[in-house]
Amino acid sequence: MNRKYLLVFILFPLIARDIYYTRSGTVSFFSATPIEDISAKNNQVTCVLDNDNGQVSFRIPILGFSFKNGLMQEHFNENYMESDIYPNASFKGMINDWDKLILTKESQKIKITGEMTIRGISKEINETGIINKNKKNIIGSADFQIKIADYGIKIPKIVQKNIAEIIDINIEVSLKKK
Amino acid sequence: MRNFVKISFFMVLLYSQDELLELINDDSKINPTPVQATFKATRIVNSQSIEMPRAGTLEFMILHRFGSMSNGFYDLFGMDEAVIRFDLKYGIGSNFSFGLGRSSLKKTYDIFSKFSILKQKVESGHSPISLVIFSKVEIETQTKDAEFINRLTYDFQLLIARKFTRFFSFQIMPTLIHKNLVESQNNLHDLFSIGTGARMKLSKRISINFDTFIPIGERKVTYQQGWGIGCDIETGGHVFQLMITNSQGAIESAYIENATGGFDNLNLYLGFNITRAFSI
Repeated sequence: MNRKYLLVFILFPLIARDIYYTRSGTVSFFSATPIEDISAKNNQVTCVLDNDNGQVSFRIPILGFSFKNGLMQEHFNENYMESDIYPNASFKGMINDWDKLILTKESQKIKITGEMTIRGISKEINETGIINKNKKNIIGSADFQIKIADYGIKIPKIVQKNIAEIIDINIEVSLKKK
Repeated sequence: MRNFVKISFFMVLLYSQDELLELINDDSKINPTPVQATFKATRIVNSQSIEMPRAGTLEFMILHRFGSMSNGFYDLFGMDEAVIRFDLKYGIGSNFSFGLGRSSLKKTYDIFSKFSILKQKVESGHSPISLVIFSKVEIETQTKDAEFINRLTYDFQLLIARKFTRFFSFQIMPTLIHKNLVESQNNLHDLFSIGTGARMKLSKRISINFDTFIPIGERKVTYQQGWGIGCDIETGGHVFQLMITNSQGAIESAYIENATGGFDNLNLYLGFNITRAFSI
């Protein structure tokens, strides 16, 4: 096989790969305790979906989470998430049975399996989400919970009653074709 | 065919999932954000820091200095006496804050503001330092029958700080203090000095802090260089600062130009600051 073929074969996937993405996905979280509710929202989430095989990747910049209370935001970054050392959380996984899925306007339930990494600690997760497609975009969302102790986040005793052990996460992305 | 297999294998490697995010990684850098927590409170020990109340946040601060430690156990190292200052300050937008304070030292009221000019950001091409202009008017009300204009002292400071690592921050502060009324004709109305301050983190919530002011130009014979060494302890919405200093006053004209204590006889002062932030 000569070099021209080689070049074509290498470039072919780049051109032909059916990629959907966003850089402005939303991830929000919510911690509810009898003492106080804490929530934060991040609109700077990158998500990429490979329409050929159902692979998905998320990158969530920790500094992008904004809180109502600026002091909480500082503590979140400095003491709990250590965003100077671990600037991003990430997820890499697969939408199960992607080849059998036909995207329509109607929302469909999907299962996602993959590896979530927060503060450099990776865990296998298995969650459900909802996906649909309008004219141009693929729209996905998911609600699930994470246990903060799983990612080595320590809560000092003095604020233990203010921060929930299990945090609700909401993810919403609207992916456009690359 | 064998070549085809090889190339396919190579392609799979090349475009494995790790690359998925990189396929769109042209300009996806997140908005640069200012460096957080160069210092924990609006004061380093005595001196002002580049920190100020966040937009829409009201901060209440108590600055408490005990009496001289020189009497030892007789008055429990000065604990029987106190000079107290408290202030309220508010962040109007993220670059400006404004506050009012009152100190029991010479019954002094003060009005002050911080204006942020530059904010340090990690990303290259952005400011490597934070720069804040601090200004304050002190109004002394202890003297009876004084003209209002003679009660005033002005403080102007440039606060230039950099958080070098996550554990170490340093600040330098060119300072001008203008006294409308001085004790004698030999005393200057305008006093220049250069302050330095630093914070060294020991753990996530505890740090050791230091500040001092180096005078520029002549001072009267009794002048002492003011300094303070302290420790920040952070607990949720509060910051506690414990300290030893050679100045009993917590206003600029006192701790910069009027420090009275020294190591002789342990003539130093214990004290603490408490900051509480309210989001309103």
